[in-house]
Amino acid sequence: MPTSGKAGSAPAGGVRFQTRSEVDFVVVGSGAAGGVLAKELSSAGFSVVVLEQGPYLRPGDFRHDEVGGFFNFDLLPKPNEFPSTFRQTEQDEATVQAFPPSVLYAKLVGGSSVHFTANYWRFRPTDFVERSRIGAIEGTGFADWPIPYADLEPYYTKVDWEVGVSGAPGFGEPPRSRPYPIPPLPVKSSGVLLERAALKLGLHPSPAPMAILSRPHNNRASCIHCGFCMFFGCEVGAKSSSLASMIPVAEATGRCEIRPEATVFRIETNTAGRVTQVLYWDKDGREQAQRARAVVLSANGAETARLLLLSESSRFPGGLANSSGKVGKYLMLNGYCTAYGYFEHPLNEYKSVQVTRVVMDYYDTDPARGCYGGGGIDARFDTYPVMFGLGGLPGDAPQWGPEYKRMLAEYYTHTMAVAGHSTSLPLESNSISLDPNVRDKYGRPALRLTYKDHPDDLKILRFFQDRCKELLDAAGARRVWANPVQEQNVAVHLLGTCRMGDHPAESVVDKYHRAHDVRNLFICDGSSFVTSGRGQPTMTIQALAFRAADHIIQFARRGEI
Amino acid sequence: MSTLSSRRDFVARSGTMVGGAWLAVHLPAIEAAARHARRALGRHAPFGVIYFMDKALGTFGAQFLQPIRGGLPDLLKAARAKNPAVRGFAELSFEQQTDVLRGMEQTPFFGAVRFLTVAGMFGDPSYGGNQDRIGWQLIGFDGGHAHQPPFGYYDANQR
Repeated sequence: MPTSGKAGSAPAGGVRFQTRSEVDFVVVGSGAAGGVLAKELSSAGFSVVVLEQGPYLRPGDFRHDEVGGFFNFDLLPKPNEFPSTFRQTEQDEATVQAFPPSVLYAKLVGGSSVHFTANYWRFRPTDFVERSRIGAIEGTGFADWPIPYADLEPYYTKVDWEVGVSGAPGFGEPPRSRPYPIPPLPVKSSGVLLERAALKLGLHPSPAPMAILSRPHNNRASCIHCGFCMFFGCEVGAKSSSLASMIPVAEATGRCEIRPEATVFRIETNTAGRVTQVLYWDKDGREQAQRARAVVLSANGAETARLLLLSESSRFPGGLANSSGKVGKYLMLNGYCTAYGYFEHPLNEYKSVQVTRVVMDYYDTDPARGCYGGGGIDARFDTYPVMFGLGGLPGDAPQWGPEYKRMLAEYYTHTMAVAGHSTSLPLESNSISLDPNVRDKYGRPALRLTYKDHPDDLKILRFFQDRCKELLDAAGARRVWANPVQEQNVAVHLLGTCRMGDHPAESVVDKYHRAHDVRNLFICDGSSFVTSGRGQPTMTIQALAFRAADHIIQFARRGEI
Repeated sequence: MSTLSSRRDFVARSGTMVGGAWLAVHLPAIEAAARHARRALGRHAPFGVIYFMDKALGTFGAQFLQPIRGGLPDLLKAARAKNPAVRGFAELSFEQQTDVLRGMEQTPFFGAVRFLTVAGMFGDPSYGGNQDRIGWQLIGFDGGHAHQPPFGYYDANQR
């Protein structure tokens, strides 16, 4: 991979486009979706400029520094520069949340795919047609996807092989046209214990599909089991971030320029309603404008929505591509809960990847539970030393003093978690919007998160937490504890804010990710989701991106953009 | 008694973070409070937490400066209430210090000191704390860069 002397800068010797020359595509965002789209479009022969607000870091820049990662926001937007606000409903006043921020994503080339846990779960056929099967859910935007699983399957398979996913077929997995390219990662003690517990309860444990290489693949190195996946960049490139897997391939075509530290603030359109150029602040804070024949917006479900809202004009008074009024709306976060268990012997869960086994028996909605929703369960441990010292012990443990110290020493290597990942219903009142009072360092209105979990979302999450505790008991934990499920106020999975659909009045993009309102604007990232799925959205984001690229390339070649 | 070699040594080593001088003046009280929070089983080896605190307060932990500054007079007041003769918190007996801290558990001062102490005990040694990885040794965290299976007892002993 080409390197340069200074972390954050673009590689020496790559193609450079003039801002005033009209490239074929500008891709806004270099994360899970943007990386795939850049790679596909440039590989198909098109000229591509990727505008990424964050720095261009290299594997060698990544550290196992928990203090830096969690408390100094190493890979995140700095909250004092880019504040975000939170309120539960539109009737409340939004207030700034500093730690953790209301909207949490990684800001660098590769986006949040650099710091994700790398759980890669495909959606199942039922995910796309739940509304048809279950019926409408009053007061929500519950809807079918405009495409079936079968349309997306070939692209899930591309993700497996080109991005790099390790695993083996497990219980309830959807049909696949090719096997996994590489086998599952070696099981950890948490995985063994989950398996034992699941089998005891009559459930079906499976290896966890992970976007982490268990063997060398595509000229990338395999995992060294260092344990610093979640919230950190992978210094050997074994975790299949967009940075490790897609960006280098895009650059190697000679037709793709990654332009980091470029903060896009507006997409411009002409009187005919077509996008013409993308305005951004460069690393020196100067305004620049990159001309393009078409724009692909993949800035994540929060920033994509903000950018469209900021790109209003007389033709688009509610925001670019927002004649439906749905930009920013139907935000879904997924549910997440954990239970912890302390075991007699050391597990040393701090080693290796966070997850090696999953249980998918509760995936589908079950009417007997009295609510919409389902999910998956994994066995994991993702508490690094400082975080464990701050709050990793059971709630009734002392928080300082000799007994606290003794318990830390006893518990850290003997503890694991079982986590539930669940659905969120799409509510129009849950949204990303522009804060009317708070601004960021550039003067842009801050991201405002409005979110209140639907009662079904909380009900299914509590169901999962009970299942997690049950599994830990069945595994033989000497002690089991959990924090009560609470309403969410931090947005990590940013889904649904520019949903796909066949009807322009009800959706922002059509089934090919083309904005209903703007012929040469495509939007593809977590914002495209119609339903939330059962967690782990990145796999589906990338499958959608591969599929979107396929269609965009065909449209471009036929002169239909 | 401070486990650091000298106050001058601390000021020299800490650079010009938050005002090494300020922290050094209050060093005995803060360090004594921190010692309670980090007292290991029978070990009195220095964690170097106070160096971590200094660095933190000058950079990413700047928001803790105000609660710590604000809480120090209360700490002294509570100490003198225990024993009017002491010049500072550090001069109380261990049991008296524990009592005082217990009474301040809910205060922002205590929260700030606890946070910085824990982060100093278990954060990367490059920040000045967790010297010689002693904090990681306490909890059994390897701190190594790579590992190989088997990782723990249960995957090593599968049937």
